[in-house]
Amino acid sequence: MNSVARVLVLLAAAAVCGSAVAGEAAAPQLGPFKREDWAKLATLPDLNGVWETLGGPITAKGAPLTPFAADRLAKYQSARDKDEIQDIASANCLPPGVPINMAMPYPNEILITPGKVTIVMEAFTQVRHIYTDGRPLPVDPDPAFNGNSIGRWEKDALVVETIGFSPETELAYGLGHSDKLHLTERYRLASPDKLEVTFTFTDPQYFTTPWTFTRSYQRRRSWMTKEYVCFQNNRHELTDDGKAIVTLQK
Amino acid sequence: MPSVLHTALAGAAVALVAGLGPAAAHHSFAMFDLKREQVLNGTVKVFEWTNPHTWIRVDVAEADGSVATYSVEGQSPNFWSRRGWSKNTVKPGDKVSVVIRPLKDGSKGGMFVRMTLPNGEVKEMAGAASD
Repeated sequence: MNSVARVLVLLAAAAVCGSAVAGEAAAPQLGPFKREDWAKLATLPDLNGVWETLGGPITAKGAPLTPFAADRLAKYQSARDKDEIQDIASANCLPPGVPINMAMPYPNEILITPGKVTIVMEAFTQVRHIYTDGRPLPVDPDPAFNGNSIGRWEKDALVVETIGFSPETELAYGLGHSDKLHLTERYRLASPDKLEVTFTFTDPQYFTTPWTFTRSYQRRRSWMTKEYVCFQNNRHELTDDGKAIVTLQK
Repeated sequence: MPSVLHTALAGAAVALVAGLGPAAAHHSFAMFDLKREQVLNGTVKVFEWTNPHTWIRVDVAEADGSVATYSVEGQSPNFWSRRGWSKNTVKPGDKVSVVIRPLKDGSKGGMFVRMTLPNGEVKEMAGAASD
């Protein structure tokens, strides 16, 4: 090894030691972005805008449930049928999380910027932050109702990977998940103003094979995302013992 | 209303609610008697154009001559504003006829089904969105 190479090796070793002393890898940074990064957005599929949700609520129908998951879902449905659980957690203004919040009778607004896609979900005024700057999925992230997401652009699609969901997030009403849940979403334009999103869930505790379904969204160029503050005038309550309460006058 | 037609309408309404589920976005229907409809003829006291639901308070003359205020839960402003409603659709003093699915516990209120405005226009709970 010549002297130059030896110096380089020593410098590399020092850099490794430096980060080892710091204890963990540096947090990924967003940007800085150059003019060409903004120009590149024009070459991406045109997903930007407000999208009306089509179709009804997500149900577990057709999901390839493990016996464990099927048993839990059946117990929930039985409790609902017997009026032991009279309402859903959203009655207390908790957001349902992804995917249920993506299938509300409220629109979702997609915003594309360099290194990031942001989805403003009108329901419960929720926001998804999807990093498309090449960073990996976070390791052991804090659980979140909407999970922790990264994304990548393929030829005609945005592909989003999400892990780290809150234990309170349900995939359909009564259908939970384990901490191994991994969601892959593929966003593509079926026609200029029709968006199709294919959701694929893997979770060895809940599904025998990946659970996949596709939802459609209609572009609404005249719509603006509106405020939705659930605590403004919420008169519903789900109590700890499953009772639904309505308070007509406050 | 003839009872057969009434039952048929209520059945259709249950199917609509179950299939559409907009209000289920926030809470269940367990508290409402979905098999029954009640007509309130009265005067609007307040129209609360608020999330997560609108509320129409209607003063109704009871059989004994007293006036009772009924609370009618409607859709969110977000949902209704894309279906022909606004904060000015009704105002205090308007004479209206409101059809509700009453609360099971007998409280004076229920879930909005439809309403006839002073000018005769009928507003519905749901429907297709518009630009």
